[in-house]
Parts: sequence; C-alpha cells; structure tokens
Amino acid sequence: MNLFTRPMRLLTAVVLEQMSDAVVKSLLELGVMDFVHLNKLDPKQMEKLSSRPSSISRIVLEDMRHRVEAVLRQGQISLPSADVLDVKNMEKPDLDSYGALMDSLGKKLLLLKDRQKESNQLVLGFDEMHRYIDEDKGEYLDLRVGEIEHGKAEDLSGRLASFGGILEPFSDGKKFISLTLRRDGSQVTPLLDKFGWIESSDVQAQKKAISLITHRLDEEHRKAGVQRGEIEAEINALVKKESPALISIWGNLRLNELSDQIRSYFSYTRNTTLFSGWVPSDQTDEVTRAIFTSSEGQCVIEWTEATQMPREEVPVAITSPKFLEPFQKIVNNYSTPEYGTINPTIFVMIAYLTMFGLMFGDVGQGFVLLLVGLLIQLSYKKNPLKEDGLLSRNIGKLLPYLGLSSMLFGVLYGSYFGFPLFPALWFNLDAVVAGDVTSGPVKDVYGILGITIKFGIIVIYTGLVLNWINLFRKKSWLKMIIDKNGIVGGVLFATGLYMGFVFVGSGYKTFPSDSWIPVVLIVTILLLFLRGFIAYHLSVRKGGQRHSLGTVTLDAVMEWVVDLLEIFGGYLSNTLSFMRVAGLGIAHAALMGSFHELSSLSGGVGAIAILILGNALVIVLEGLSSGIQALRLNYYEFFSRYFTGKGVAYEPVGLKTSFAAQK
Amino acid sequence: MKQNPTSLYGFINAKLRARIGLMRESHIIEDLLKAKGVVEAVAVLRDSAHSSVATAYDRTGDIQQMELALLYNEVEMYQEVAKYLEGKPADFVLNLLGKVEVDNLKNTIRLWYGSIIRRRPMRFRSEYLFKGKLLNDIDWTALVNAISWDEVCKALANTPYSEVVNAFTEQQLDTEGLFVLENKLDLQWYEQMMASTEKLSELDKNVAQSVFMVDIDLKNLLMMVRYGWYHKMDKAILSNLLMPWGKVYKNKSVREFVNKSAKERDPFVVIEKLYPGLNEAIRQISEDKQGSVRQDELMALQNLRIEAYLHERRKSVYRKMLASDPFTIGVSLAYFFLYKEEDTMIKAILNGKYYGYEEDYIRGVLA
Repeated sequence: MNLFTRPMRLLTAVVLEQMSDAVVKSLLELGVMDFVHLNKLDPKQMEKLSSRPSSISRIVLEDMRHRVEAVLRQGQISLPSADVLDVKNMEKPDLDSYGALMDSLGKKLLLLKDRQKESNQLVLGFDEMHRYIDEDKGEYLDLRVGEIEHGKAEDLSGRLASFGGILEPFSDGKKFISLTLRRDGSQVTPLLDKFGWIESSDVQAQKKAISLITHRLDEEHRKAGVQRGEIEAEINALVKKESPALISIWGNLRLNELSDQIRSYFSYTRNTTLFSGWVPSDQTDEVTRAIFTSSEGQCVIEWTEATQMPREEVPVAITSPKFLEPFQKIVNNYSTPEYGTINPTIFVMIAYLTMFGLMFGDVGQGFVLLLVGLLIQLSYKKNPLKEDGLLSRNIGKLLPYLGLSSMLFGVLYGSYFGFPLFPALWFNLDAVVAGDVTSGPVKDVYGILGITIKFGIIVIYTGLVLNWINLFRKKSWLKMIIDKNGIVGGVLFATGLYMGFVFVGSGYKTFPSDSWIPVVLIVTILLLFLRGFIAYHLSVRKGGQRHSLGTVTLDAVMEWVVDLLEIFGGYLSNTLSFMRVAGLGIAHAALMGSFHELSSLSGGVGAIAILILGNALVIVLEGLSSGIQALRLNYYEFFSRYFTGKGVAYEPVGLKTSFAAQK
Repeated sequence: MKQNPTSLYGFINAKLRARIGLMRESHIIEDLLKAKGVVEAVAVLRDSAHSSVATAYDRTGDIQQMELALLYNEVEMYQEVAKYLEGKPADFVLNLLGKVEVDNLKNTIRLWYGSIIRRRPMRFRSEYLFKGKLLNDIDWTALVNAISWDEVCKALANTPYSEVVNAFTEQQLDTEGLFVLENKLDLQWYEQMMASTEKLSELDKNVAQSVFMVDIDLKNLLMMVRYGWYHKMDKAILSNLLMPWGKVYKNKSVREFVNKSAKERDPFVVIEKLYPGLNEAIRQISEDKQGSVRQDELMALQNLRIEAYLHERRKSVYRKMLASDPFTIGVSLAYFFLYKEEDTMIKAILNGKYYGYEEDYIRGVLA
C-alpha cells in the first residue's frame, strides 16, 4: 500500500501508422494507460496533426453488443465478464453477419414466445375456472352432464375449447361432462344442441361429474403450465446453444469498442500515429516494452515527470490493500485526493472504527453486526448477479469491521448485550451512565464527554499534520506555515486548547495568565494578517497580475477576518462536534439500561422477549446512527483539515474498463 | 386543524422530486425505441424500475401480461404517495386512483359487451383485468361473469357508478354502443375530482384545478372535432357529453358550434379563437395532405395534432408546477403525469415492437 498517491509519468509516443493496430492491442492488454488528447497538452501542435473518424462508429458497436446482451439475458445467461476478452482474438467486426444471426435468433425467439403466450392463455383460462371451483363460485360455471346424439365427441370438444371449455367422457363412454363458463351459455347451448345434447337425469352421474371434471381441469391446467414452462426452457436451451457464438461476438464487439476508445485519443501525420497518456511510474517499463515490441522497435517514446505538469492535470491512482476496500469507498464517495498527497484510507479506517466503537461498544451486539455482515457477503457470493439492495455488498464488507470494533470496545466497556458479564478493561459505560460509579478512570458523563473531546483533538491534529505533510510535498510553504490549517492555525488551536483546559481545570473560574499567551496570540494573528500581502508579493514575483494597494489591502483584510472567524469559531465547533460521540454512546447505554429495567419488571418469557427486541432495536437504530455520525465526523471534521478533493481519478483503458467509465 | 404545508409535503415532495430527476436522466424510452424487437426492448426494462414487466414477459411471453404488470406498478405508485400524505391531500391522491378504476371498469364492460352482446367469447381475456380493490368495492368477478346488463348493474349496485350504468339499457347499448356510457363514466370521475379539489387548501385547489382544466379542455375540444364535426353528432347528445368546465366549454363560440346543425359546424372557427397557433398547424396538415390521404386518415392526423398540442400545454403546466411553490400537491401531480406518460410510452413501444413497426414509425406516433 502506498501512503501517498501513486507517482505518475506522462507518456508521449510516435509509432508508424501500420504498427498502430498492434500497439493498440498491446496497450489494451496492459490496461494501465489513462489517455490524454494531444490537443490538451499542446493545442498548437494539433494544427499539424489530424484525427481520423472510426471505420465503424462506437455507437453501432454498442448497439450490436446490447442486442447480444438482450438475447443472452432472455436465455437467463449471465453476461460475460472481462475475463472472456482476449486481444489475440480481436478481429474486424462483421456487423452484417452478426446482425443476420441476431435477426434469425430474434425470429426463433419470437415464435417460441408466441407459443408461450398461447400456453399462458390456456393457463389463464383454466386458472379462472379453477378459481371459481376453489372459491365455491359455481354460479359462474356451466356444468352439464349428458349424451350426444350426433357428431363426434372430438369435434364437440374442439368447438368447446374455443370457449375455453372442457368435454370429459364418463367411463361408460356414452355420457359426457361439459364444463364451460356460464357467460358463454348463449353460444354453448346452441352448440350442444347442434350435437344433439341430451341432458342426463342420472343423479349419481351428476354427483360424480364435479370431481371428475375438477380432476380433468387440474390435469389440463398442469399440462398447460408444464407446456408454458417447457417453452421457457426451450428458449433458454436455444440461447444456451448459441451462447458460445454470442459470447464470442460480444467479446469481439467489446474489444473493438475499447480499441476505438483508445484510437479516439490518437492523432496522425501522414505516416505516423501520436498518442499520449498517464501511466503509474512503476509500470513505465512494461509500457515501454509493450510499445517497443508491438511496433517492432519503430517508435519514439518520451516520458515526462508529473512534476513538470500542472498538478491538477495529473490523474490520481490510489492503491489500497483489499481489506481496506470499504474504507476506500468512503474516501472515493467524498472525492479524489490531490495528486501527490496522502492516501487517507488507512486514517479513515482507524478514525471511523474508533468513533463507531466509542459510540456502539458491546460485544454481543458487535458479534451480531459481524454475523450480519458475513451473511450479506455470503448471500451475494451465492448470487453474484444479485443487484445491490439496501444491504449492499459494501455494507456487507463494512459490517464485520464495525462488528469487531464494537466487540473490542465492548470488552473495554465490559458490555455483553448490555450485561456486565466480565469486568470492564477500561471503564463500565453502562454503570457510568446509570450513575453507579464512584471510582475508576471515568466517574460520570462529563468524564465520557471529556474523552470524546480529547479524541476529537487527536483527530483534528492528525488532520492538521497530514495537511502539513501534503503542503510540504507540494512545496506550498506559505500555506503550510501561515494558514488556518497551517502551523499558525495549529499553534492557535493549541493555545486555545491550553486556555480551555486550564479554565475547566479551575472549575470554570479563571483563564490562564501565562505571559507567553498574549505574545503567541499577537504574533500568529499578525502573521495571518500579513499572509495576504505575502501571497500577493509571491504571486507578482511569479508573473501574476498586479493590483492597486487598496485592492490588495482590502483582500488581505477580508481574508484575515474570515480566517480568524474560521479559526476561533471553526476549531471550537469542530472540537465540540465530537461530543456527539459521547452523546451516542450515552444514548446506547441509556437505551440498554431502559430495556433491562423493563425486562426486570416483566419477568419470564416477556423479559426475554423485551431483551431480544430491545437489542434488535438498539442494533438497528443505534448502529445506523453511529455509522452515520462516524461518517459525518470523518467527512466534516477530519477531511476538512487536509483533504482538498481536487484530484482527477486515474481511469486507464483496458479490458477491465467498466462500461460506466467509458468516455 | 390546518396542516402545515411544509411538514405535509416536505418529505414526499423531496422524494418525488428525486424520482422525477431520475426519470429525466433515464434514457429508458430512447433505449426502448432503439431496440430491434421485443426481446431487446424487454432487456432494457430488466435493470429499470419496471423489472417486474420483464419478468412477466419471461414467464408468459404475453404483452398483455406485461401491461397488467405495469398497471399493478401504477396502482402501487398512487397508494405509496397517498401513504406519505395525510388528510384531504391523501384522499385526493387516492381519488386519482378512481381514474384507473374507471378505465378498468370500461375495459371490463367492453369485454362483457363483446361477449354477451357481440357474442365473442371472452375466454382468458378477463384475466388481464385488474381484480384488486382500487377505490370502491367492486365485484370484478361478478362483472365479467354477468350475462345481462341487469347483472352488470347489480354488480355495481353499491358503487358510485350505479346511477350511470342504471341510466342505460341493454337494448340501448346494443344499438348505440358503449361510447356514451364510457363518456358518462369519465364525466362522473371528473365531477368527483372537481368536488375533491374543493376540499383541498386554496393553493392546492388552484394547482389541481389548473391541471384538470387543461385535461378537460383537451377532451372537450376533441369531442367537438371528432364527434361534433366529423361524426356529425346530434346537438342534444353532444352538449350532454361536453364536460361543463374549462375555457373551451365556457367559450361562447363553442355553444354556437354545438347549436348549429351538424353540416354547418366548423371547428376551426372555435380553435382559431381559443388556440390560434393550433389552428394554423391543423390547416397546414389539411393543405399538405388533402388529396393524398383519405378523409378519415386526415381526420386522424388532425386529431393527433390537437392531442399533441394540448399535451404540450399540459406538460408546460406541470413544468410550471415543478418550478413554483414546492409545498403543494403540484409536485405529486407532476410526478403522476410524468409516470403515466412514461408508462403509456412503454406500452406503446412494446406493442409497436411486438407488431414489428420500425423505430421511426413508433417515434412518429409518440411525437
């Protein structure tokens, strides 16, 4: 893992045009280059270069790929992943033959679907009659028992089927049961008359008729349902049979799309192709080798260090180990760090888990979170195609960490589903909240508030130190020293803290009267005032625009006032903001205390039910609140000290490039 | 007690605005149009909010089952929004479900009519109807199984539709068809809605009525052109079918149009007064197509133009609602409109793809 963003280098290469296909393939296979349009680097040079339209539009390729995907999904086949992509198999896409295959498959599928529709309609018809029998709504059915005098029973059966009816023979072969819907009676009666239907007066036969016809209806319903299912299976089988060809087409289309994406960054002279892109420094040798080999040595490759380019144009690549993935997502969700600065993931992990544990410390409840997290992961593992729900994949990965943190703090607090099963290793939070503690490191809620404030100070100072490291690396000396988040800001914050702690220590009576305090305050405030002037002076020295003294003074004063407000107000509120950690922790203990109280009043099964329900409620509500509050503290109190979020994400084009990232 | 609009609408309107935002970003309609056939169109729906529609197709291969799935989603959508509201606005939203109920009732009666009066077996088609409770307790099973108009009336006896259906006889329907009955059912729904708007706060009432007025104007205008002019409907029937609200109905020239003999009626005089821009567009169609298409085709094109024009006006009313006071019933109404619009387009495109129409043709019909 890199503590900082990965160092990058900019490649500019020229290859002979006839070699460009091979170069594209090799770069695609490597998948490490974040391409840059040459006109972005040097617009003047572009006048001498030209761009070329693709022989096949990428939209056409995408449309064809969507057609293939539609058929695969109709056959319940998972869409292929990047693993099926192999640049060695890439060829010019034969869109006509692909189209012909898709058309012919589409026609076959439609025919099958029409048959499935017919089966479905049969099922629907039988469903209706079946429902009337089940719900005892015989008044909507027309059940007759009788004999036919002329015509064939098969003919009558066929004619009745056009009304969704059934004709069932009795075992004697003479009598028949006709089941239709009463609403069709006005047409069924003349039809039966045509066949010389004579209603039977056999009471026994009438009685038997309902069970016989129900049995037949069941049978017909089952047959139609099976047929409908078989057609669906037939559709799946048809697509499965064609799937090797479809997947191969899909792969070729995808490769061509990616290749076209790479080519869209290329510029041309009459015989050469020029391109440029960012590559992580540790992969430059690989890229050089790949271009050299694929162009058979007929290439010119030039590398530019990122330091020679404007920082904001350098894409930011971050590598974090897999176990940090959920925390990397928390960082990504906020923004991309600036190039060359610290990768905050590991700090976020420590801060987030500590905050969560402080707020939600309980071994039993933490264990539940751990289990839920593992179950979520297992469920997605079993159904890799399942879409992310409310309990997403990322939540599944984050919960075990939160569970472990909660368990660790549970041991420190001595809390096991709210019960003090073992002595607390640090202090018993539940007892402190209940007011039952007279000795130990923490005796009352003020002690808890104090701990979280001190924790907040550590977080804020960590943020400040990270900021100073970032600024040092960026050589932003002025900002590193004289800024609200610079050393001067840090000194002012430290002075304020000292004054605050002495004030609290005196029982809220007196502020410290050390002689160095006014000196530090005056010097730092004066430095902050001078910052605007120094910044202007440095900017002019670097060729920046000149302004009148009045404008510069006004700007400097305004900035100074805002900075002071932010330092005195902002640092105070940021520090006190961490009291929410104590608040949530106290609420957690108080809620568990209430459920214990309720449970002791109830007794028996009721007591157990209250405890289970109480724990469940606390896990869901408190767990959610603690997770959100920890996130908020990271984003607002921690990140605001050092994380500018001005970076541009590194998005190389390769076989694993996501569809969403495609530019 | 008077409800605070902020607490009443704050949550649901924020939720609906977010959904409207997603709808606007979504390219589902465009993707559906580009699909080469039903299979590809269904693939577009798989990863959308309409995935249940795709599942229905996988299971049955039946377009009408997909339409039923869409209808279920629509009903759920109204019920969900009503759940987040309370008091009169919640009742009002549930009353909007009455339109779904009236349309379902009309479909049921059409099936009944085909089966009993026209003697075309209903068979499985009754299973495509929505059978759950919408607004009133209607015994849909009794309705589809009625063997006479009296039984239809009996099945609707304890519903608000009783009076309307009882005003018709089986013989009358046999000779005159269902047109007047269906219009009366629509009219009754509008009456209920207008009454329902009266119970809303003044602001909500104005917002809701402004929407209904545009709808009513569209219906009245089409009624005049299609039936008053083209089908030369009798004055008494025509004046009975016009909905007694909106600027079209209240315009003096409309009364004159209705009172004239069928041969003397000229809808363009009325349209010129009410919608000069539309009149120009219709005349253009007449000039362009005269002689090249049959009179009924020309009529259909003119009707489509009127519908498109008023649809645009309706759209602009909803757009205005979204840009004005965020704490009114307007956001919900705009969401319903957009949802319904998307639903209608999905249905039309799926049917178009099923019957093999080209993308451009479907686009033309939807435009």
